[in-house]
Amino acid sequence: MNVSAMQAFLGPLDDNGRFPAHQQTRVAAFLASAHGAQARRLAATLAGAVHDGWQVEMHVQFCREMEILSLLARATSWTLDPQLPFLMWQWESAWLPRPAEGIADRRQALLIDMAAFGHALHGGMRPAALLPEDAHDMDPFTLALRRIEFEGARLMQGQMIFLKGAQFHAVRAEVNAAVERRHAQLRELWDAMLRGIDVDNNSRHLAETAFQVALRTNALYQASLQGGAGTTEQDDKVKRAKEL
Amino acid sequence: MPSLTHGLSRIRYELAGPENGPAYVLINGLTQYVEIWHPYRDALVSRGFRVAIFDLLGQGVSEKPSLFINQDDQVQVVSDLVAEIGGGPIFISGISFGGVIALRYAIAHGDTIAGLVPISAFAEVSPQLYLLGKAMMTGLVLGGTNYLMDLLFPMNLSNAWIGPHMKALDAAKRRGWLLNDVYALQNLMESFFDFEPLTPQLPSIRVPTMILNGEFDFLTPRPLQETMRVNIPDSALVIVPNAYHAFTLEKPALTADLLARFAQDVMAGRWHGKQSIWVAPEQPGGDIVPFPAGFDHMRAIPIHLPPAAAEHRETPLP
Repeated sequence: MNVSAMQAFLGPLDDNGRFPAHQQTRVAAFLASAHGAQARRLAATLAGAVHDGWQVEMHVQFCREMEILSLLARATSWTLDPQLPFLMWQWESAWLPRPAEGIADRRQALLIDMAAFGHALHGGMRPAALLPEDAHDMDPFTLALRRIEFEGARLMQGQMIFLKGAQFHAVRAEVNAAVERRHAQLRELWDAMLRGIDVDNNSRHLAETAFQVALRTNALYQASLQGGAGTTEQDDKVKRAKEL
Repeated sequence: MPSLTHGLSRIRYELAGPENGPAYVLINGLTQYVEIWHPYRDALVSRGFRVAIFDLLGQGVSEKPSLFINQDDQVQVVSDLVAEIGGGPIFISGISFGGVIALRYAIAHGDTIAGLVPISAFAEVSPQLYLLGKAMMTGLVLGGTNYLMDLLFPMNLSNAWIGPHMKALDAAKRRGWLLNDVYALQNLMESFFDFEPLTPQLPSIRVPTMILNGEFDFLTPRPLQETMRVNIPDSALVIVPNAYHAFTLEKPALTADLLARFAQDVMAGRWHGKQSIWVAPEQPGGDIVPFPAGFDHMRAIPIHLPPAAAEHRETPLP
């Protein structure tokens, strides 16, 4: 793997302000696979009428997952990706239910795992953080990623309330371990998927924003005004910083 | 960038400055990250200090425990970092949430530090602060990190700063949004909802302590600072004029200067806190002047103290 070719965000944008179709396809396929898995598990728990209060939240979660899947299907510029069949098999295998370890009640262990998976999916995956600062505000894929992340934070509340609930105080370590395991699993597969499209989103903290450039840039401004050498990316940031 | 390991968690930190120089450990507030302290690092290193800055557990690039973050773990992280520094005398400072962690550290490990600077901190959660915290967490949950920062900016920064940056506020929030995850911020905020007051333990802090409080701090106003002043024996309250809660972002040169002068006074044996009250200068290097004798520093309008209270309050001249 050529590490130097990695970039912190999706891109570069084409002339129409869109992300490369192969990047959109890979990211959307991953998200559709994971959200689809969660939707299937939610659907299985909702067979029949809603009798209990907690099922109302499950129903909301199910509908939101379906909305995410529909949005991804329509907002993505799909393209042929020969690696997808293998990747999909790998991802779908990973999403299979795994009862939380150390929980005697199997049904409860499965519910904990489902909530843990949802927590990792909605909280740990940050699709909007893949977007560079100059992403077009009206690009459908950009808007879809922002929407998924925004809704994810709300959906996660159901999982947090369930997982932190008093009913699990006695098995807090086991619940915590189940959640950490799902976070680690999703993060590993997410990072690997992104590396496959030359993105290392974990280095996003190193990318200086236009605002940071604006704050420290008297020197940079002067250099650019004097025709000083700089990278194209740096020049773009100085340009944006000047606009700010 | 180096990292510490706390349990299974990785903590990102930076160390700069002379190895055996006096050291400052600077602790972030909510939504903050290492780079926020870079102006302080540069200013303090240029004055001979060693500076340690890090992302709190649950923030920035440090590990983000998924369900629970215990404040004792944060204190242990600071302890690990202090052990990493070694060498000269060590001063600890923190802003807001970080100020609470600094207080906790000083209570638990006061013998390892030479001085303490809680900035916009608090030792107990007042009803107002509790409700504000709850409202901010609801904002975080419903609107995400950006909405939380939308609330924090006007509460914590002055018009003098916001005005010129108005068009750039979205860009200003970007790094805080990029580096912080909702669930982790939520865990950090939840760690305050069963917060036990530190006030009974404050008298055990024996080290010199400079309490920094913005004149117009809305989030942690003067009564919360007063709790620290009257309970920490060798403390002084320094009111920073025209400053709000997050004046560390707004006035880095002034605040770094105050930190450096405090440490230099302590090391030279010139520091005499005596629970006194002072007013910081507007600019770095200016005079720190005693709060006017006979007036009530708890009020926003100049109210004379009752004679007995005026006699009791000692305001030593420099």
